Amino acid sequence: MSAAVGGSRRRAIPLAPWLLILPSLVLALVIIGYPFFEILRLSVSNVSRFGLVRGSAGLSNFATIFGDPIFQNALLRTGTWTFGVVAGTLLASVPVALVLRQPFYGRGLARTIIMLPWAISLAMAAIVWLWSFNADYGMINATLRELGLMQGSVQWMARAETAFPMEIAVGMIVSIPFTVTILLGGLSSIPGDIYEAAAIDGARPWHCFWRLTLPMLGPFINIAVVLNVIHVFNSFPIIWVMTQGGPDNSTHILVTYLYELSFRLGRPGQAAAVSLAMLVIVFGFTALYMRLRNKDPVA
Amino acid sequence: MRRRLLWRSVWSWIVLAPLLLVTLLPFAVMLSTALKPHDEVIAFPPRWLPTHLDWQNFVDMWSAVDFGTGLWNSLVVSLGGTVLTLAVSIPAAYAMSRIMFRGKDTYGQFLLITQMLSPILLVLGLFRMAASIHIGDATLVDTRLAVTIIYAAFQLAFAVWMLASYFTTIPAELEEAAWIDGAGRAQAMLRIFMPLAVPAIAVTGIVTFVACWNEFPVALTMLRDPARLTLPLKVVNLVAGRYSVEWNQVMAATLLATVPVAVVFAALQRYLVQGLTLGAVK
Repeated sequence: MSAAVGGSRRRAIPLAPWLLILPSLVLALVIIGYPFFEILRLSVSNVSRFGLVRGSAGLSNFATIFGDPIFQNALLRTGTWTFGVVAGTLLASVPVALVLRQPFYGRGLARTIIMLPWAISLAMAAIVWLWSFNADYGMINATLRELGLMQGSVQWMARAETAFPMEIAVGMIVSIPFTVTILLGGLSSIPGDIYEAAAIDGARPWHCFWRLTLPMLGPFINIAVVLNVIHVFNSFPIIWVMTQGGPDNSTHILVTYLYELSFRLGRPGQAAAVSLAMLVIVFGFTALYMRLRNKDPVA
Repeated sequence: MRRRLLWRSVWSWIVLAPLLLVTLLPFAVMLSTALKPHDEVIAFPPRWLPTHLDWQNFVDMWSAVDFGTGLWNSLVVSLGGTVLTLAVSIPAAYAMSRIMFRGKDTYGQFLLITQMLSPILLVLGLFRMAASIHIGDATLVDTRLAVTIIYAAFQLAFAVWMLASYFTTIPAELEEAAWIDGAGRAQAMLRIFMPLAVPAIAVTGIVTFVACWNEFPVALTMLRDPARLTLPLKVVNLVAGRYSVEWNQVMAATLLATVPVAVVFAALQRYLVQGLTLGAVK
């Protein structure tokens, strides 16, 4: 529609669209481009802890990082973190979206409650969860005791074995609203009459789910997964607020270690190398996202 | 038929119950702790219900957190970020939805890439950039201006995307009719298009505002002076690295900082969902 209109105008005012997009282009190029090249430069430089560039370092920053056991563990843990949060979110979101699609009493209320975490600052949510998991005075231990599920107290945040899975759980809860939204959009695009046709052919609800709903939902699930992966991979506040990567570096993921290298440990050159390694991973996923988008017209 | 709906409602709520419980738990904890007197917060075993409601927590918190300052700073950077984002995104989205031009796809892909980049990945570069820009004898580090500009740069891709998908639903024929009647293109945009685009702009503005309001890592990196800290930083500073934490005050602060935004967001959730899915399906 606008193609026909614009087509005839293109020659008349070729400059207009560029003037319209120019401010946004300049803003993004400067604020995202400059830091990007700065990081590129720092990663191959010898940088003092106060940020002074003292000459080239070749690839030694990368060598140091890849030989650093904290980095290696953080890299592996980032994989666990991202996979755990995204897979858990998806497994919870598909049934929730299916339930929310059909009419029932109080659907609006249920939907509003499920969307609530979306509007809350991750830092604030993490603080509330940190307090809820408090060993002595937290309501989670108190409630588990009252229900008779446990005696004594669990020191949730004192050890990575309990702290990290709980951080993943919090990550899931805050990722569900966005994922459910995308899936609901997908479900609303499935025409209702294919289910009627399937019912006439004698299909069971279970078959309908596996043979109709899931394949039709496919592209939306793909998009939700890729966007969630990128988002969760970069997510900083939950782990930073709940454990700061501790105790003893045992809950660091790449972003928290990156922050610590940059602003606490005073190793900017290595921090830049970590940034760059993460950018490579993110770009990999972005490329995947673009391919999915291009291949699938609905996505 | 009615019975079937009733039956379906029962099992729907049963299926959703676990998620609803864990979603509401933090709100229950906030409310419970924020209204407890101090000695009941550290009483063992802890109870959900306070013996009496202690509203004094909110008064004490206000000065302990320096809540007013945090609120003002959060408002400044969030409103500033939103206005700047909209100012650069509206024209871009108009071009994307109304005009065919060479490089449109490239620009779209560029936006997509910027959306994939979280500021935390570039945080060191952003800090150094702010430190290299001098205003008078100070730099942009520890200024709300730097935070505002960074917010806008990282929000604009999403804003353009969302605005453009709304804009394409506004029929172009209205503007074309105005051209025929002798209005210039700019005049038609301002007089015909903009009034119709107000709801889309409002929704996008609110999403952007909430994102800026909730942002943590950039503010943590850029802001140092207690007089310039935003609310999330003020509250996190009450907890991080403290030996004794006044949890009733902290929960009063988180409650006051999050609930108004959450209520507005929940009320508008239907429109947001519409806009998002429009964007996702485009």
